[in-house]
Amino acid sequence: MVNKHEIEAALHAESQAISAGRLKEDNPLDLSDDFRIFCEACRRGDLKICQELIMKGVNINARDRFDYTPLILASLCGQFEVAQLLLESGALCERDTFQGERCLYNALNDRIRNLLLSYDYAKSTDPLQPLAAHITSLLTRDHPKTTDITLVTPTESFRLHKFVLSARSPYFAKKLATAPDTTSWKLSNSIPTESLHLALRYLYFSEVSADLGDGEEEQIILTGIDKISRQLEIERMFESILESGDRRLTRQRRTDEVNRGRDQLNEWFQNNVMKNKIVVDTEKAHDVHWDRNNGIFADVLLRADDEPQEETQVEIQPQDPLVRTTSGPLNGIPIGPLAKSRSPSRHRSPQKSTLYPVHRAMLLRSEYFLTMFSSSFREAQETQHLQIIKLDCTPAVLEVILTFLYTERADFGLDVAIDVLFMADLLFIEKLKQRAAMIISTLGNGSTSAVESENPRGATDAENALDVYEVVRAGWDTRVHRLEEFGARYIAYRLERYIDEEEFAELVRESANRIKARQETDTVELIDDIRYYLSDRFRLRFEDSGLEEMMEENINEDPAELPEPLPEDEGVDISSNSPPKQTTDEFLFPDIESQLRGGAVRTLDGEVAGDEFAQDAMNYQILLGKIDALLARLELDA
Amino acid sequence: MIAGRGRSKIRPPRRGIHGGEEIDFEQTWKIIASAFNEIHTKNASKLSYEELYRHAYRIVLKKKGEDLYKRVRDFEHDWLTTQVRLRIQDLLSPNLLISSQAIGGTTTNERRFAGEKFMKGLKDAYMDHHVCMGMLADVLMYMDRVYCQDTHRLSIYNSAMILFRDDILNAFSQDGDSISVLELLNHVILEQIRMERDGDVIDKHMIKDCVYMLEGLYEGQMDTAESRLYVASFEGSFLETSRDFYRAESELLLRESDAGAYCRHTRRRIVEEQDRCRSTLAESTTPKIEKVVEDELIKNRIRELIEMESGVRFMIDNDRMEELSLVYELNARVDPKKTELMRAMQKRVVEMGTEVNNAAIAASQAPPPSEGADKGKGPALEKSLNQQTVAAIKWVEDVLQLKDKFDLIWKNAFNSDNALQTALTRSFADFINASSFPRSSEYISLFIDENMKKGIRGKTENEIDMVLEKAIVLLRYVQDKDLFERYYKKHLCRRLLMNKSISNDVEKQMISRMKIELGNNFTMKLEAMFKDMTISEELTSGYKGHVAQLGDADPKRIELAINVLTSMTWPLESMGGSGDEEGKTLKCIFPPAIDRIKRGFEKYYGEKHSGRQLTWLAAMGSADVRAVFPKVPGKEGTQKERRHELNVSTYGMVILLLFNEVSADVSLTFEDIQAQTNIPVSDLVRNLQSLAVAPKTRILVKEPMSKDVKPTDRFSFNAGFMGKFHRIKVGVVSNGNKVESDRERKETEKKNDDSRGFCIEAAVVRIMKQRKELSHQQLVAETLNQLAPQFKPEVTMIKKRIESLIEREYLERIEGAKVDSYRYLA
Repeated sequence: MVNKHEIEAALHAESQAISAGRLKEDNPLDLSDDFRIFCEACRRGDLKICQELIMKGVNINARDRFDYTPLILASLCGQFEVAQLLLESGALCERDTFQGERCLYNALNDRIRNLLLSYDYAKSTDPLQPLAAHITSLLTRDHPKTTDITLVTPTESFRLHKFVLSARSPYFAKKLATAPDTTSWKLSNSIPTESLHLALRYLYFSEVSADLGDGEEEQIILTGIDKISRQLEIERMFESILESGDRRLTRQRRTDEVNRGRDQLNEWFQNNVMKNKIVVDTEKAHDVHWDRNNGIFADVLLRADDEPQEETQVEIQPQDPLVRTTSGPLNGIPIGPLAKSRSPSRHRSPQKSTLYPVHRAMLLRSEYFLTMFSSSFREAQETQHLQIIKLDCTPAVLEVILTFLYTERADFGLDVAIDVLFMADLLFIEKLKQRAAMIISTLGNGSTSAVESENPRGATDAENALDVYEVVRAGWDTRVHRLEEFGARYIAYRLERYIDEEEFAELVRESANRIKARQETDTVELIDDIRYYLSDRFRLRFEDSGLEEMMEENINEDPAELPEPLPEDEGVDISSNSPPKQTTDEFLFPDIESQLRGGAVRTLDGEVAGDEFAQDAMNYQILLGKIDALLARLELDA
Repeated sequence: MIAGRGRSKIRPPRRGIHGGEEIDFEQTWKIIASAFNEIHTKNASKLSYEELYRHAYRIVLKKKGEDLYKRVRDFEHDWLTTQVRLRIQDLLSPNLLISSQAIGGTTTNERRFAGEKFMKGLKDAYMDHHVCMGMLADVLMYMDRVYCQDTHRLSIYNSAMILFRDDILNAFSQDGDSISVLELLNHVILEQIRMERDGDVIDKHMIKDCVYMLEGLYEGQMDTAESRLYVASFEGSFLETSRDFYRAESELLLRESDAGAYCRHTRRRIVEEQDRCRSTLAESTTPKIEKVVEDELIKNRIRELIEMESGVRFMIDNDRMEELSLVYELNARVDPKKTELMRAMQKRVVEMGTEVNNAAIAASQAPPPSEGADKGKGPALEKSLNQQTVAAIKWVEDVLQLKDKFDLIWKNAFNSDNALQTALTRSFADFINASSFPRSSEYISLFIDENMKKGIRGKTENEIDMVLEKAIVLLRYVQDKDLFERYYKKHLCRRLLMNKSISNDVEKQMISRMKIELGNNFTMKLEAMFKDMTISEELTSGYKGHVAQLGDADPKRIELAINVLTSMTWPLESMGGSGDEEGKTLKCIFPPAIDRIKRGFEKYYGEKHSGRQLTWLAAMGSADVRAVFPKVPGKEGTQKERRHELNVSTYGMVILLLFNEVSADVSLTFEDIQAQTNIPVSDLVRNLQSLAVAPKTRILVKEPMSKDVKPTDRFSFNAGFMGKFHRIKVGVVSNGNKVESDRERKETEKKNDDSRGFCIEAAVVRIMKQRKELSHQQLVAETLNQLAPQFKPEVTMIKKRIESLIEREYLERIEGAKVDSYRYLA
């Protein structure tokens, strides 16, 4: 055990280090409006606002005036989903730190506490780690071949990627800009190979340590590193090798380094790949020829077609001339004879395609491309001109995917989310898939941005156009359970609207079939989920008003008609005396009649009672009854 | 309310991919199928991965995974049965089929070519299939990941491999034929291996490729190592044929070649099989085939091999180290205890040891002892005794040589194996302690004696160490340590008293070695003997000083060197030769001059240690006498008195002094001498023999001149004695340490048995005192146990001793006990 004064001493030392600028503060004070709103949303559990603000770039590890971080707030207020969102977005909860322990001790229930523990820093990785690891692995990857430049030293030769070098080292950027078709580069003999190796590892996002042997040897290597880092204009490297302090400092520096590297890569990606995309008519897309030697070192073209049925003016058309004017680094690249013929004057514009010059090395992050380029199919072959590979999505979606592959960034709107979800599934990019699912499930509540519990009567916007059926089906198709849950919740809070739709019945049937395909059980997952969220919706209402007696009365009015399905987790305790969930199926079934009658009673009593709560209770019963009726109609419970 | 909400709304996925528009499964499948065709015909480079993947992806997304999976399987099944199988069947030449039915109608070469062609075809088919399936799996990756995982099906690749197994390997090689392709393949591989064993060169890579194929395929649905076709189908029959092959080979070899060649061949075979597993088959087979070879060539044959005419016995006799080490290696392979080799070796050790024993006995008995004619003191017997001594030393050396030989074999050929070392030790102990050869203790002691007296002269310390070590090694084998102790004491006693020992240090080293080896008890008495010697030296010089102090400087004073021996520790009774009883009662009459000194010393000693009695053992002393012989004409005519210094035994001195009293020409009869000196007859005879009979030391003249001394003989001073040296040593016959005569032996053994009796009694009493009551069985066992470091008593002897203890009322029988039991009576 650590004594109190020791903890205080450590805290003091930490704050000293922070004020001296040696250590960056993990949780800086943030008094901006955005952050205030963010904290507020965390308290209330408003996923949508949280997600929106996170995408806007609010610092999720900052603290407010009262020294609270968003994660502490979410944990304290028992907002499981928000806490999960925060953790997935990179909120820190580290044991053995002051703020981390605060989170843990403040957790409202065990469920949240376990969640926090499972995200403990020691176990979770830096969100950028996969990207860094991939780029590091490029150094040693032999197959499929992605390298385009060889660096020769007297003893060894390194096969490297021009785009990485040029993105990471200003020196290379300049050199390669003037002579993009260089295929080998010689190093002066005065620099030891070991130093060069370290420098390259640094360029490729690897962690470079200061463990360099001893004495003289170390001195030689360090001198070499000094020299080479100045030559390549990567002076920061020397510092990061020399300084090795405590664990936290090292980690912070490492995070900074990777972040910086990512930013460099991102900048390069935006300036080269994105600016060099080409928009052509679809039927002429095949004729685009790019030489293998091009200014941005791309080795493959990805093609995405616009949606065919779009009759309106293609909106990206104005970009067309832009593409050609910004072809600065594209010296001598024949974009193809078609570029000219693609005149904007054409009236009924034909379908357009967008081509992105990209690098296989980065595409390999997707297993789909890895397999493709490792195989012996057409795409893997070396041709004079770059291969054009079509991806079955819109340019916008492709851009999201490319941005993710190059920079690990995945901020996109709800409008492309489902498409991204499907593409990520197709390309086996698991992280992007999860990300898409998260965006859908946090932003998907449409315009009802307020916390759902405040909208118990399921009032919805007429505009609300989320096709929840599609979302649920997409969840099934891409095996993202989260979406099914989201759908169930979404429907539950708007059940009045959906319960009578034929498509809802269809969805329930599909859900049932899914289960039957797996194993012989009688429950329908979707219905179970909906029931659960339904009880949640109404229960919260009753609980909030603190009028349980009232509920009691209601129950007394319709004895045995209010068997609430037992919520699954321990955070809820009001229905401790209700029968366990497993029995509800059989239990509920014979009650349908009476519940239907309950529906009839409601119209009668509606005037008499006139009470909101009573009305809620009855609505609850009616909805449950309708569900059962639906099940009976679909012959699912039999 | 947040500004801008509702701005972005979720859009349904694009129709193009996921929309309601049904894709035409048949149409899509057609595209995919034709692409598969291209893949199979190696035109894949034109195909677009993206397109194929997209088609497959859509089918799976449309929940048609099941259909797709089935179609792909059907497609492959079709392809294999229609295309590949025919190609394989084309390869089956009649030659191949005939050979598979074990009819040797074709030449080896033809069979080999046919086999190689067949293997190549099969291998190519498999490799093609493997590559194509890899590409198919790439294209169908989404199906593998989504459909197959959801429904727990085998991945399409594995499933296609099963198809290959069923459609190609398990198919019959020809319509109406009952041999499957797999069996045929096994057969071909086995035949090729057979050819290689017979010395042909075969295409190892080809076979390795086929084995690789068999390793990649599984018998059942599960991918376990045991169900690989290689293990399930090929390996068993390979081992079986190998077993047959080696069984036959071992029989042939045992008949036709010698053991060394057999061993070399076996080892070569094992290495060959290891190589084969590495280069041609699979590593996992190595231990199994090794076992087969070991079983057939070694385990089942090792006995025959070792007992062959040119077997282990021959190898040992001819020091065939290399072959012996081969035998060892082979035997160790199959039997960590090396039982057979051990047995053979032990047998040989005992045989050779017994030979050495017999040689020693024969040598010692070579000239038939004429004991019947003699009274036991004749020179013939002396000679025979000498011969026996030589035989004893030869025996020791032979045994040591034998040991060296086996040690060398053990070290060089047997890899210094521990178990074999203990076995060797046991065998040596066996023959050294053999009941047919009871003299080992005496011989070893004699060997040490010999070395102490002569052997170590001029040797370096290391060499001496080695000699001592050898002696100790032998001593280790000896069981009856007490007997050895008796002999050693006796021999040591002589060395000490006669000053025969070359180096006192070496003696002490020997003692300390024995101490380490046999314990304190064993050497206690020996050490006491050394102590007596040093004390005696002090006494002598002390007495000398005492005499000098007395001040009567007598020029004719006689110097006295004396050894005072503790009677318990010294084996005095064995010193005086025979007639000890007599010698003890009769006291030698010393001449007055001597007697005076004797009394003087007794007085001196009495002052120092009161209450001790000194017994003078004249038989063991010696004296230097200065004698003056009158002038006689020499050869050169020179006439001068000759002075000689005579070194004689004490008795000899007494006899010679007698002649000082009488005039030169007076002669004394044997009886006169006997009466005047009171020397025991036997000693007198021996002393007179050496003084009057031995040619070089004939100081007295005997009448009549004969070799034997008779009571009637007369003796006179030999004034004409001529000696070459100033100092003359008059040796007394039978003075050295020699092998005992049989009679002596019996005496020694009798004495030994007596002392053993006491030891046993002491042990029994010790045990009973502790236990109070004990059954007979237990008592005997414990007694044996307790006495083991000293000797191994016979059970009958223990019984006798117990009886005698009961008689003396140390013990009593417990009446009515179930088993015989005794009680200790305090």
